[in-house]
Amino acid sequence: MSRIAPPKVMPVYKRDPRTGVVQSQDDVCPVCKSARYMNPSLRFLVNPECYHKMCESCVDRMFSHGPAACPIKGCGRTLRKHRFREQTFEDIKVEREVDIRKKVGATFNRREEDFETLLAYNDYLNDVEDITFNLINGIDLEETNKKFEAYTRAHGKEIEENAQMAVQERQSFSAAQKLERQQARERREAARREEEEEKREVEENRRDVLNRLASGADAETVAKEGQRVQLKKRMDRQAATERQRQLQAAEDAHSECNNKFVIKGLKTKQKPAPEALVDPFGGLRLVDSYFTLQDDYIWEGIQEARKDVKQTAGGYDVRDYAHRSLVAAFSGLGVFVADEITQRDQLAQKDGVVGEDVGLKDAEMIHAP
Amino acid sequence: MGEAASTKFNDLYRTSSQYRLWSFSPEGLTALRRKTHELAIARASQYATKSNSYDGRGGAAVDCLTAEECLRLVQRYLDQVRTTSDHFKWPVPVKATAVQYLARFYLSNSPLTYPPKEIYKTVLFLACKTEATHMTLSEYARRISTPADEVLAPEYKVMQALRFTLDVRQPYRGLKGVLMELLNLAEGMVGEVEGVETGGAKALQAEMLALEMPPKTAQTMWRVKEAGKLESKDLTDRINAAYSAARTILDGPALLTDAYFLFTPSQILLAALHLADEPLTSFYLRTKLPLDSDLRPKVLTTIAACAELLASFSGSQILSKDERAALEQKLEGCRDLSTRDLVGSHAVAKRGGDGGEEAEEKARKKKAAREKHLKEGDDLFGPSLNGKG
Repeated sequence: MSRIAPPKVMPVYKRDPRTGVVQSQDDVCPVCKSARYMNPSLRFLVNPECYHKMCESCVDRMFSHGPAACPIKGCGRTLRKHRFREQTFEDIKVEREVDIRKKVGATFNRREEDFETLLAYNDYLNDVEDITFNLINGIDLEETNKKFEAYTRAHGKEIEENAQMAVQERQSFSAAQKLERQQARERREAARREEEEEKREVEENRRDVLNRLASGADAETVAKEGQRVQLKKRMDRQAATERQRQLQAAEDAHSECNNKFVIKGLKTKQKPAPEALVDPFGGLRLVDSYFTLQDDYIWEGIQEARKDVKQTAGGYDVRDYAHRSLVAAFSGLGVFVADEITQRDQLAQKDGVVGEDVGLKDAEMIHAP
Repeated sequence: MGEAASTKFNDLYRTSSQYRLWSFSPEGLTALRRKTHELAIARASQYATKSNSYDGRGGAAVDCLTAEECLRLVQRYLDQVRTTSDHFKWPVPVKATAVQYLARFYLSNSPLTYPPKEIYKTVLFLACKTEATHMTLSEYARRISTPADEVLAPEYKVMQALRFTLDVRQPYRGLKGVLMELLNLAEGMVGEVEGVETGGAKALQAEMLALEMPPKTAQTMWRVKEAGKLESKDLTDRINAAYSAARTILDGPALLTDAYFLFTPSQILLAALHLADEPLTSFYLRTKLPLDSDLRPKVLTTIAACAELLASFSGSQILSKDERAALEQKLEGCRDLSTRDLVGSHAVAKRGGDGGEEAEEKARKKKAAREKHLKEGDDLFGPSLNGKG
């Protein structure tokens, strides 16, 4: 006969409406073994010392008279009542990790501006992460703790400064947000008031028109005048609001940072200086000597080519030919071969080093058969 | 600024291989040639004694060519290269390059080792390849009635002797540039050079018109027709005549003398122009070199020296056909015998080395095996199956 697996009992999960903690019916306190069934308002607390959870009543019972040892078998750490708190994360490991990170983050709180290069900052972050990892996973705990202590001792002052800066920023940030909200509220108010004003004026105008009609004035003229007056009032109002807005903008421009909404932590990006164009010759310039290139040479040899579409269509400029010819004509004019070569030979003989291009060496090159 | 800039400008020439490897002082050049000749004689006599012991020829010292005769033989073949290039109707750079290659080759080798008759065709072919007027080998060989092997065989030796530097700086393009500038000057358009005091375009034009006539010794064809005032058209004629005269000089004496080894192309072309029409050239140089620069006298003396060298050459110095034949006969008797079979040694080198006998054997065996395989393939039942065949 086949064995049928016994049906699994799925625990019933419910979310506590007040705290949002997921509770299940068979939560049992490991210390007193009381279940939610018996005690519907059962709450578990956790101590960051050893992350063992126990129900509130156990905590009250055991630790109200001062620090005592953890009742869980195998863990005897001394716990204090005030350190017990509600668990924030479902997974206890995550809770532990977050606590460690908070601790590390409180100490290693340098910012990107403190570093000269991005690489240095990244290295620093890497080191911090190494320490965190070691602490979380319990690797080399002694060494890591020593590093921790060393850093705290060395940079205690800076840590404090950074912490204070962070606090201030947060405050100013919240203040800025409040101001922004207030401004939005005021604007809403102003808009509502305007609407009311407009409605009132329309009413008045209509009443006025009716009165005048009733007192026997000409209907058309009254109507026209009524419209004109209404239009004028509207234009005036619009102009007034426009002026108001401009004034406000001018004011805003003066009182900058406090009124503007700042995103926390943004660095003012400086536009990078435009890259200098790459000079392929590295600053080397060849200046024509002994001649200056003219725009046109009347020699008939190039006149035809200058006008020939077949030559110029591809972008060829006849002046290139002229320039090249003139360079060939004069380059080397000041080179006095006899003197320079004798000088070079003498130098070579003196040094005893036969350079690769001493003329006499070539005579040795009587080939092999 | 003038001196430093012109130094940099002249450095353009100093970076060329022609300056670095193929420029000499006159003494250096003669010393090099003498050394080459002595070495060649030593080799030739070495081989002569060896062959004497084999052949049992007369034990008397063989009558070798003197250095002077070698030089003249080489010059004869320089001219031969020129003629052949004209026969092919190739542009003038090819001609000039080929002549220079041959001249450079014979700086480090001697006719005793490589008779120019076997070399000059190769050199011309190499020049046509280098100067972008390539003709296929078969066509070339056909047109000068030489087997293609003979044309190619000495090529690597030639390249080695040229030290693999194939660029020859020519004066022809520069001469065209000077022509362009002179014509512009005649029309009153001038490109002012920094540091040179001129009166401006009009003054220069007037000065040109007032230039004195070229001396009797000048090579230009231009002569003033009537003793009247010159017009600009006459000036243009004068310039063009001077240009063509200079061109002829560059075509002949410049190539056949040692001008390329001793002077820069710029100096050569100005010297040719100087020979063609001296007043015109002096005027031109006055607009180019500042009067107070210390390079000026030196440049002028160099140009004068080059002009002298070019003028001292005459066509009669070249060997005639009979003289050449006589010298070659003499050469046969005293040349280095190890380099006689250029085609053979080239083929060996191509095949990859010594042990020619074994390599031939292997090649023959392979050929036989291949033919056998082909033959068996045509059999009724196809080739044999066991892989051999």
